[in-house]
Amino acid sequence: MPSHFFIVLLTLCMTFSATIAQAVSKLPETIKVDPSALTAEPMCDPKISPAWREAQEIEGVKIAASPGCSPDNPAWIAAAVKGTNNISMDTLMKTGLSPDAIIKTDDLDGDGDPDRIIIKLEIMELNGRSPDFPGIIPTFDIAPGIQPGAWVFAPKTSGMSTENFESVRANPLLRLPSPVIRVEVGDIVQIVLENTHYFPHSIHLHGVDHPFSHGEHGGQDGVPQTSEVELMPGERRVYQFQARQSGTMFYHCHVQTHTHLSMGLAGMIVVEENKPNNWLQTLNIGGGHVRHPSVAVREQFDQEYDLHYHAMDKELTEIIQKHNDPRLIAREMNQRYDITDSTEDYFTLNGLSFPYTLRESLIIVEPDQKVKLRLLNSGGELIAVHTHGHHATITHYDGVEHNPMAQIMRDVFDMAPAQRLDLKLETVNDGKHSYGEGDWLIHDHREKGITTNGMAEGGSMSSIVYKSYLGEHGMPKVSHFGIDLSEYFTKEFYERRYPIWQDLDEWASLGSPAGQMGFDAGTQTSLLNALYGLLIGFFLYLIFAKRESIKQCAMAMVSRLKSPKGSNQ
Amino acid sequence: MAKTTITFFLVAAFLVLNTNVWAQQQTKPDEHDHSQHDHSGHDMNQSTHDHEHDHSGHQMSQKSGSAVDHASEHAATTADHGHDHEIDHSAHDTQATEHGDMHHHHHMDHDHIMDHEGTMIMGQNLDKLPSSCKSISEEVEITVRAGRKYSKNFPGTAFAFDKQQWNVKPCAKVTFHFINEDSIRHQFMMHGLPKYLYKYGMFHLEVTGPKTVSGTIIVPGTDDTFLVHCDISHHMEKGMKAQLVVGKGGEDIPSIPGLTPYNLTDRYEAENLPKASDKSSNKAEKNLISMEITEFSNPNLKKYSMMLMGVLVGLLSIPLFKKISFRKKSD
Repeated sequence: MPSHFFIVLLTLCMTFSATIAQAVSKLPETIKVDPSALTAEPMCDPKISPAWREAQEIEGVKIAASPGCSPDNPAWIAAAVKGTNNISMDTLMKTGLSPDAIIKTDDLDGDGDPDRIIIKLEIMELNGRSPDFPGIIPTFDIAPGIQPGAWVFAPKTSGMSTENFESVRANPLLRLPSPVIRVEVGDIVQIVLENTHYFPHSIHLHGVDHPFSHGEHGGQDGVPQTSEVELMPGERRVYQFQARQSGTMFYHCHVQTHTHLSMGLAGMIVVEENKPNNWLQTLNIGGGHVRHPSVAVREQFDQEYDLHYHAMDKELTEIIQKHNDPRLIAREMNQRYDITDSTEDYFTLNGLSFPYTLRESLIIVEPDQKVKLRLLNSGGELIAVHTHGHHATITHYDGVEHNPMAQIMRDVFDMAPAQRLDLKLETVNDGKHSYGEGDWLIHDHREKGITTNGMAEGGSMSSIVYKSYLGEHGMPKVSHFGIDLSEYFTKEFYERRYPIWQDLDEWASLGSPAGQMGFDAGTQTSLLNALYGLLIGFFLYLIFAKRESIKQCAMAMVSRLKSPKGSNQ
Repeated sequence: MAKTTITFFLVAAFLVLNTNVWAQQQTKPDEHDHSQHDHSGHDMNQSTHDHEHDHSGHQMSQKSGSAVDHASEHAATTADHGHDHEIDHSAHDTQATEHGDMHHHHHMDHDHIMDHEGTMIMGQNLDKLPSSCKSISEEVEITVRAGRKYSKNFPGTAFAFDKQQWNVKPCAKVTFHFINEDSIRHQFMMHGLPKYLYKYGMFHLEVTGPKTVSGTIIVPGTDDTFLVHCDISHHMEKGMKAQLVVGKGGEDIPSIPGLTPYNLTDRYEAENLPKASDKSSNKAEKNLISMEITEFSNPNLKKYSMMLMGVLVGLLSIPLFKKISFRKKSD
């Protein structure tokens, strides 16, 4: 009987090998991803009222038009310019700010603007783990489906951390990046840090003229090794200064800086020149277009933009999504995370990555304008920002004006970590300042800077868009070139599940191949091996089962061999 | 026989574990006690805190008078008048009605009262009876303290309320005195209340500490349990969570520190931390090494003595060998 099995198995093996040889002759079909299978987001977030884009006046504050898709809430600007203590309850309620978030009082030099400024900042966590459900809370997407755990300095808010009780999305005031702060030379500024976070933190005012120690408030440099102890959760500290020099500066947490800065506790702070009647937009929430620029900027420029470049390491941001216990997060961050082995994965401009940068961080220009760009690099590596179609002039390095006679024009701007550059972008079509109107890219030319966790196009890239190239909803007009950006507004794109070239031609020549018919090569060989194993097993069994007859056979053989020998003797 | 012993041990182990859990829960003091008497002393302290606070942070503000000041005055009154409920309530009621038409306050509508420092009372209900109630069953005052220091009893949290559960009767009129003892914002936010009485089903007190704010609600007439938390990012997740039990209560709210189990728990693994005992064993190791270094002649000595013994054995065995060879010869 078993010998029959053996024969059957042998034939099976033969047929199997034969089918494999046949399958190789034709390659798999191309499978096209159906657009309806993607979770498409509208290119421009419909939650934002188009009325916000218009030039307007609120509480006597002139707010410039901002034709991009997602302009700042005009009420935020009014509150930032007047102070939350000087606006109506109606306007305040439209901001979500705490009534004591920005307090402006006392015109000390009698020049028509307030000179005592109190700015209250809280520290908020975004995209952190919850012990109640498997998701994260409150959520903030830097790109479709990309939600890195982050910490931010946030203007003091009122009420909930989420949009509402049903939503897990963060209150719009709680966002990356930490807000841009604007104060005037000579202002008596108090930045009040109310540590609402579960870890110790501090504020270091990098580049801002501040005393090392203040008689009333103690150490002011934010460094736990030199000037002050860590500010514990639930505590408040006042950082007071009266700056004598203007410039684009930087503020960040200096507790465990190697992780806390990258987590998002970093923002731009601008000290503006002291001018009469200079009501500043104390906070530019989310950075980008400054819709109420200072007197000095208005004198020299048509527009002003704050461009805050940042980078985050995925592994670091995931720590607060893996653990809820602060002790575990502390151990993971302080003792186990090794920044010397880390790589940066998320590259953001004003807290967002492409394509969301198109909603908020477009530099929208018209021909023959002078535009002031303030750049900050708060990432851990040098960046190289390239302006397509333009050469801009570097006017200030790290807040200090460069000798006007020696100022240079470039189209790649290298910025060391913590470095600031002020640029003068002139949209004069002379082949040098500008090559003419268009939708010109502005991006970090380290190629990883245009990726999101290695997936292009993403990262900190944005555009310098001329108004003639601005389409509906304030997004760049690209459809006349046959360009469709909608695939970028799907989370599947950044999950690497969308074959990005499938729509370049009709038959998707560079689309995704289907899997092989039947088994793939790996399973085939393993199946064959299993068959061979079976065969060997059967063979061994046969030997075992017939060992008696084999023995007899062998004995017979031996005796047969022996007998002639014996006969010979 | 073996089976019964095994079951005995299992039961014993189970009991031990259970008592551990039980003991942990007991460490939290006065969980079910919702009387306000024992806090009168604290209230006094609180008012002095407020005094200091007023001088430090908010001198700049031109607005005067706030719900907060009233509330802290009220807290002081509570302390002064001892435990007289009647007086307390009438005082509180007049104070509370004032909220509705205070000119100094920013306020949106009847539902939402906010002062210049962001102290907020939202969803207060002084007189609207829930449909499930015929009358108010009891009038209760509950003092709730919030702060980082209350997280001390719950390792692995960062913020907490002083208690994690309060019990009231159905249809009770409850006044919460919310004392924030930190120097940041905290909230006493209650969810799931009937929406026809409370906007979004919410009752919400919010104050930047150290300060007090008070607000009143009338709880429904059915047994239920309501979530109480602070909604500032990750305050609830990191411990500032509690529940208000009406009557016999409903389903427990999960992940309340020391009270209810977490839906999702972290994975803990012990760390190789330096210990004092390790240090002493390190010393012993060091001694061994130093011994080896200082007494390096010892092994040589051993070698020589072994050689000596070998020689001795050899010498002694010479006669034996002789005998053997002799015998062989004799054969």
